[in-house]
Amino acid sequence: MNSNTPSSSAGGPGSADATAPRRNSKRPKYSRFTQQELPACKPILTPKWVISTFLLVSFIFIPIGIVSLFASRDVVEIVHGYETECIPSGSRNDKVGFIQSDQDKTCIRTLTVPKDMSQPIYVYYQLDNFYQNHRRYVRSRSDQQLRSPENARETGSCSPEDTVGDTAIVPCGLIAWSLFNDTYHFTSNNGGQIPINKRGISWQSDRERKFGRNVYPSNFQNGTLIGGARLNESIPLSEQEDLIVWMRTAALPTFRKLYGKIEVNLRQGDVINVTLQNNYNTYSFNGRKKLVLSTTSWLGGKNDFVGIAYLTVGGLCFFLAIVFVLIYLIKPRQLGDPSYLSWNRNPGGH
Amino acid sequence: MKRFVYINEDNLAHDLYCDNRISNRKYTIWNFLPKNLWEQFSRFMNQYFLLIACLQLWSLITPVNPASTWGPLIFIFAVSATKEAWDDYNRYLSDKKANEKEVWIVKQGTKKLIQAQDIRVGNLVWLRENDEVPCDLVLLGAADPQGICYVETAALDGETDLKTRLIPPACVGIDFELLHKIKGVIECPSPDKDIRRFDANMRLFPPFLDNDVCPLTIKNTLLQSCYLRNTEWACGVAVYTGNETKLGMSRGIPEPKLTAVDAMIDKLTGAIFVFQIVVVIVLGIAGNVWKDTEARKLWYVRYPKEGPWYELLVIPLRFELLCSIMIPISIKVSLDLVKSLYAKFIDWDDQMVDLETGIRSHAANTAISEDLGQVEYILTDKTGTLTENKMIFKRCFVSGTFYGNENGDALTDAELLSAVSSGSTDVIRFLKVMAICNTVIPVQSKNGSISYKAQSQDEEALVRAAARLHMVFVNKNGNFVDIKFNASTIQYEVLDILEFTSDRKRMSIVVKDSQSGKIILLSKGADEAILPHAYTGQQVRTYAEAVEQYAQLGLRTLCLAWRELEDEEYQEWAVMFKEANSSLVDREWRVAEVCQRLEHDFEIIGVAAIEDRLQDGVPETIETLRKAGLNFWMLTGDKQNTAIQIALSCNFVSPEPKGQLLMINGKTEDEVCRNLERVLLTMRITSSEPKDVAFVIDGWALEIALKHYRKAFTELAILSRTAICCRVTPSQKAQLVELLKSCDYRTLAIGDGGNDVRMIQQADIGVGISGREGLQAARAADYSIGKFRFLKRLILVHGRYSYNRTAFLSQYSFYKSLLICFIQIFFSFISGVSGTSLFNSVSLMAYNVFYTSVPVLVSVLDKDLSERTVMQHPQILFYCQAGRLLNPSTFAGWFGRSLFHAIVVFVITIHSYAFEKSEMEEVSMVALSGCIWLQAFVVALETNSFTILQHLAIWGNLVGFYVINWIVSALPSSGMYTIMFRLCRQPSYWITMILIVAGGMGPVLALKYFRYTYRSSKINILQQAERLGGPILSLGNIEPQSRSLEKDLSPLSISLPKNRNPVYEPLLSDSPNSTRRSFGPGVPFDFFQSQSRLSSSYSRNCKDN
Repeated sequence: MNSNTPSSSAGGPGSADATAPRRNSKRPKYSRFTQQELPACKPILTPKWVISTFLLVSFIFIPIGIVSLFASRDVVEIVHGYETECIPSGSRNDKVGFIQSDQDKTCIRTLTVPKDMSQPIYVYYQLDNFYQNHRRYVRSRSDQQLRSPENARETGSCSPEDTVGDTAIVPCGLIAWSLFNDTYHFTSNNGGQIPINKRGISWQSDRERKFGRNVYPSNFQNGTLIGGARLNESIPLSEQEDLIVWMRTAALPTFRKLYGKIEVNLRQGDVINVTLQNNYNTYSFNGRKKLVLSTTSWLGGKNDFVGIAYLTVGGLCFFLAIVFVLIYLIKPRQLGDPSYLSWNRNPGGH
Repeated sequence: MKRFVYINEDNLAHDLYCDNRISNRKYTIWNFLPKNLWEQFSRFMNQYFLLIACLQLWSLITPVNPASTWGPLIFIFAVSATKEAWDDYNRYLSDKKANEKEVWIVKQGTKKLIQAQDIRVGNLVWLRENDEVPCDLVLLGAADPQGICYVETAALDGETDLKTRLIPPACVGIDFELLHKIKGVIECPSPDKDIRRFDANMRLFPPFLDNDVCPLTIKNTLLQSCYLRNTEWACGVAVYTGNETKLGMSRGIPEPKLTAVDAMIDKLTGAIFVFQIVVVIVLGIAGNVWKDTEARKLWYVRYPKEGPWYELLVIPLRFELLCSIMIPISIKVSLDLVKSLYAKFIDWDDQMVDLETGIRSHAANTAISEDLGQVEYILTDKTGTLTENKMIFKRCFVSGTFYGNENGDALTDAELLSAVSSGSTDVIRFLKVMAICNTVIPVQSKNGSISYKAQSQDEEALVRAAARLHMVFVNKNGNFVDIKFNASTIQYEVLDILEFTSDRKRMSIVVKDSQSGKIILLSKGADEAILPHAYTGQQVRTYAEAVEQYAQLGLRTLCLAWRELEDEEYQEWAVMFKEANSSLVDREWRVAEVCQRLEHDFEIIGVAAIEDRLQDGVPETIETLRKAGLNFWMLTGDKQNTAIQIALSCNFVSPEPKGQLLMINGKTEDEVCRNLERVLLTMRITSSEPKDVAFVIDGWALEIALKHYRKAFTELAILSRTAICCRVTPSQKAQLVELLKSCDYRTLAIGDGGNDVRMIQQADIGVGISGREGLQAARAADYSIGKFRFLKRLILVHGRYSYNRTAFLSQYSFYKSLLICFIQIFFSFISGVSGTSLFNSVSLMAYNVFYTSVPVLVSVLDKDLSERTVMQHPQILFYCQAGRLLNPSTFAGWFGRSLFHAIVVFVITIHSYAFEKSEMEEVSMVALSGCIWLQAFVVALETNSFTILQHLAIWGNLVGFYVINWIVSALPSSGMYTIMFRLCRQPSYWITMILIVAGGMGPVLALKYFRYTYRSSKINILQQAERLGGPILSLGNIEPQSRSLEKDLSPLSISLPKNRNPVYEPLLSDSPNSTRRSFGPGVPFDFFQSQSRLSSSYSRNCKDN
């Protein structure tokens, strides 16, 4: 600002003709940005645009909804809850006592395949009402320790499952400690084994980067309280895939975790015998356990929500479009009518 | 409290009083850090963030990494501390410059050159012409033998005229050499800030006369920051130094101004804080209950049986930290950033450049641009602000002839020129009065041209005009004035000056013609002060009519008169005058009475009309701003009549049938009280009528009203949209601002002179006009502009846009913070109310810092309406004034929107990412990207005009989000390693995003469309009209129809002044029902009499002067 003043003060209160030529030179550099005059497009909400937007959305959403719904319906899913059935009827009054005892917990269940299932068939276990996202739980792990054997003592965040005596627990923390330990074996009705492939069920990135190849479990489940599964101390963590899967904590209290893959096709009506070890204690907190066999589609597993939501939104948009068309036809209103400006109204107009 | 100053005593008083070091600094190097931190932490927001940051250091409760709060916090503090330090450093530099200025003082009897900061009380200081006075001095000697010197006090009080200062009588005649050795004592009051008062005594020691105590007044002082002018040298003794001078005492660091928007944001922040506490308490209790009933059964969580004593606090504190993001830490940084951009836009604006002088508009205070859009009252100075402050003699009426009526300029009127050259006695006498009857000092420069230094611009205009008409006031030498007419020089001896006072409204001068020895009384003054005193027999009617006619044109008029005095009459009177002048009691009243004895039987010579031109575009600006619902108050030191006249000519008040002026005058409490009540009554009656009622009050009455009838006056201030306050002092101006502010109005004060500085600093917004009265006002102001007319653009364009943008930006900041916070809260319900954070630290920090702040920052380019539309429909400013875009109810809308969007994001995320896909990191990223998508569309929906930058910011930001997350996902050490790559490969991720956007935006769009089209606000209508090219655009050209007041929208509706009737209409009326007073040519003075009913002692009229 000051740069302009010296030259002008020299001119003083000049005469009118002296100001005329100066006028141009005085004009500062013009820039559309500084003058807030950048070219701008100024869309407004006209009925045409809004109604066609809603129509367009509904025309796109309804087909997507239908396709998603079909994809979800194509998925064949067998869900079998067993937490009550696998308790011997005599112990059902004291499920917790049973699960904490040393009795044999083998349990045989029978599943019938409702539809043809083509491989790969994913085997999940589903836990309900299990808070893997609880704050005390979700932070009770040590990623450094899992990654490298040098960091075995990095157990600061693992309390209360950090050390036994003075030696660190590997893998430490509540998550690892509470590793799910039910096991499943599938045999077909004719007695043949249905093999479960338990390799490659965890994320490749976890195996390669998060869980060290030369980190071996030590001191695990050696404390006074035994949580879940034990680990084979001769296998490095990067190959303990059940642990890797388990340690991908779930955000919701109901979740499924991959147990393995069945790599044979199953026919409709096939009967599968499941021999399971019902070891995991979900009884103290009324949790439920389910065994899930499921195929997959381009959208993932069976989930009708997306399809229904798409149909709902699409329908709603269509409905809104129709409503707006009707309002537009019944009660047309001129946009930008100056008579709506109150200060333009005539004295008698109100 | 008194202080005794021993003149020229080097050994005394050195440590008693401070030295002359001026310091405006707020900090020193040592106290900067603690003091600055203390100041920053005295703000609630900062205390809050500090508390949060400290809590986060406790790892038991922190849901995220403490760095996510500490980083931004330290950044914010560093930025504002740096700014403070820089400002203080600049103050230090300017202080240093003033302190190291070299001045001559006397030490041990010899003159020495020292730095200004080393002056001590009691030192003798020598000044030369054009020197700045370094501290407050009592004059002891001056070059002028009579001990007169001239000072310019502009920096002190803003008055540019030269003031005379006198040596105290005891010092008159002391020899130049002896002054070095002068000794004495001055008894003066302790330092104060009253620049018009200095009650002190001086006693000189032998060998100087020490017979008596010599009283001193402000007339005997030279105050710091004044300039010595037209005086070769002067010397004085320092009485107040450093920060104890009158200037130093009256200087205070102005309070930082807080805008209404800031206050509202603070209020909303407070509300959010309360909401947050409620949430924390509810969730804390729920969490503890859930823990004891449910979580203890979860064997895998392994809650210990017995927790520490603070166990109950842990969960609430966790939620406090989790919810701390509800109050966006970024809002202050974002606001500071956009506010400085608003200020830059003002600086850059090419349409607010004064082309004559090249002065650009400047926003000195970068923090209060939004307030410009919310102004309700504008308090404006008159002279130099509305007018150009260039008095020009335009017309005159001499012995029955109007000069200058045809071409509008008497100086080029051939008739007058020929009358001058032909030597018409009346005209010559008229010119002589113009040239002599004044207190102007002619200054002859080296090249022979004469410039005039005058106390009043009117006198200067008259003297200049006389010079143009060949009656040149050449020289003033003591009591002798030389006048050159054509080629001959006439000398007069000035015998007495009968000074101008506001009560007498005239000034006279008694001169003796050096050649003929005749004694003449020359007078000039307001018509009501001159015309009634004409000698019996003179027809004053024609003069009254001339005055009337000129007043209609908005010219300031002066009647010029003359009387030849008999020698004896004068001698007799002169004795009385001297006596009156030396009287100690009631001096002013006595002098006035004596003057009255001489000022009668005038021979009226003529009427001079002076124009103070309005600045370009003033009436239009005022009209537009009044349409925009702004109330105007004019605060002027000028006379009532002039003020009213100017008010009329610049649309300030409407002429009679539409407008009505109510007078509040009076010298006593009773009168003022009666007047006030009457006006108040009228106001109450008329407030429902579409009438333009304004009140007029003068300084005296104002003083009384503010002191004794503050309540009534406050009510009046609220009722009236227009007011004219005349003859008010700077402090009264500030008091009026204070009064309006206390009624919760947003005030803008605009002025150009130093006398406006206090009101400018007091007002919510101070605007200074960098004008002829110097730059004090512009320096003290928050905004400085070149011309009054830029105010329109400043308020309607810059103020309005700033308000709109800040309103959006601040609410949006809360929206996005609430959005993510609600998701966290919802998540806590499915995570055992244990205070787990769904989002990781990196995402949370980046969400506030990068993902959501960039798109909204470009909203500083958003324009809801084009500048042209706003100018055509200034009423639209009402939305800003009334705070329609940022208030609890709009905020509730944003609150609701964030709640709705949080529900949409959360529900869709946990359902589409259920079962085998419910992996924590993935769900967290799905929810986060849902938020990012939604906020991009929200910004897009709320943007009115898309420039390329906005597209870039909104959609580029979305791309940026993915890029940043891909980068983070590529780092094996980060928690979210490979997550984003996995997600982007899943069709279900993209399907979910589209679903979130459609589900979140569909209802919002539908609602907005419905309100936009069927419940449209005025802004919407204008937008539609502007963009569809509706009939509204042409409205600007159509003459506005007669408009009415609308009760529901009263601030919006203003009655427009009609085309002003060319015939002057009287403005005064004593009741709302009063009929127009007629000004029949036969009853010129009927007017005065009829007025006297209203106020007995104060006669007024509505004519100019």
